[in-house]
Amino acid sequence: MPSEDPADALAAVAALRRLADQLEDSAVEQAMRAGWSWPQVAEALAVTRQAVHKKHAKRLIAAGVTLRRRG
Amino acid sequence: MSQFDAYLHEVLERAGHEAARDASATIEAHHLLLAVAAGHEPALTSAGLGYEALKDALRREFEHSLGVAGVTTAAFDLPPATPDLSRRPQLGASVKVALDRMVRSHRKKDLRPGHLLIGILQAEVGTVPRALALAGVDRAELVERVRSELPGQ
Repeated sequence: MPSEDPADALAAVAALRRLADQLEDSAVEQAMRAGWSWPQVAEALAVTRQAVHKKHAKRLIAAGVTLRRRG
Repeated sequence: MSQFDAYLHEVLERAGHEAARDASATIEAHHLLLAVAAGHEPALTSAGLGYEALKDALRREFEHSLGVAGVTTAAFDLPPATPDLSRRPQLGASVKVALDRMVRSHRKKDLRPGHLLIGILQAEVGTVPRALALAGVDRAELVERVRSELPGQ
């Protein structure tokens, strides 16, 4: 990192977390629109199927995405 | 419900929408500040911090902070996710600290909208002070301006 200021490094961590959250929402939505299943998305993200379902199902249903139930 | 409670409820509601639009699981201080700015707060407006200007300052802070780690938002070509506007994000740590600063400094019956704004602006570190610094805003001066506009000052 070019900066030696701890405030910059800490802010970078916070910003990367925000970016990761935004990317996750976008990438999961793209995958489900492309017909991926929950188990596939969960394995790709290295999280449990329950976790990914709990985090994204309601949003994607509201967004009108057709969700596959089985892998 | 007191007039201030009604104001706080309304601002937190708006801040929740800002957080949901931002794909954030929690309401953070910068969402609260955006919600205050959306209400055309005079001290913010006179400092050049209307809602859109503040949004722009926050975007620049985000890009600047990512840049410290060598990351640009342009590096990712994914379409933005559809936000879930029905979601009710929880209060995040930075909002709790701002609210705590506010209630520790004043008696509940004396609280006015300006006290909430001061509580947000008094953060020494984090997204809000960094965004304001990048926008060239003198935070201490802004706090004084908000204070001077409080009733009885």
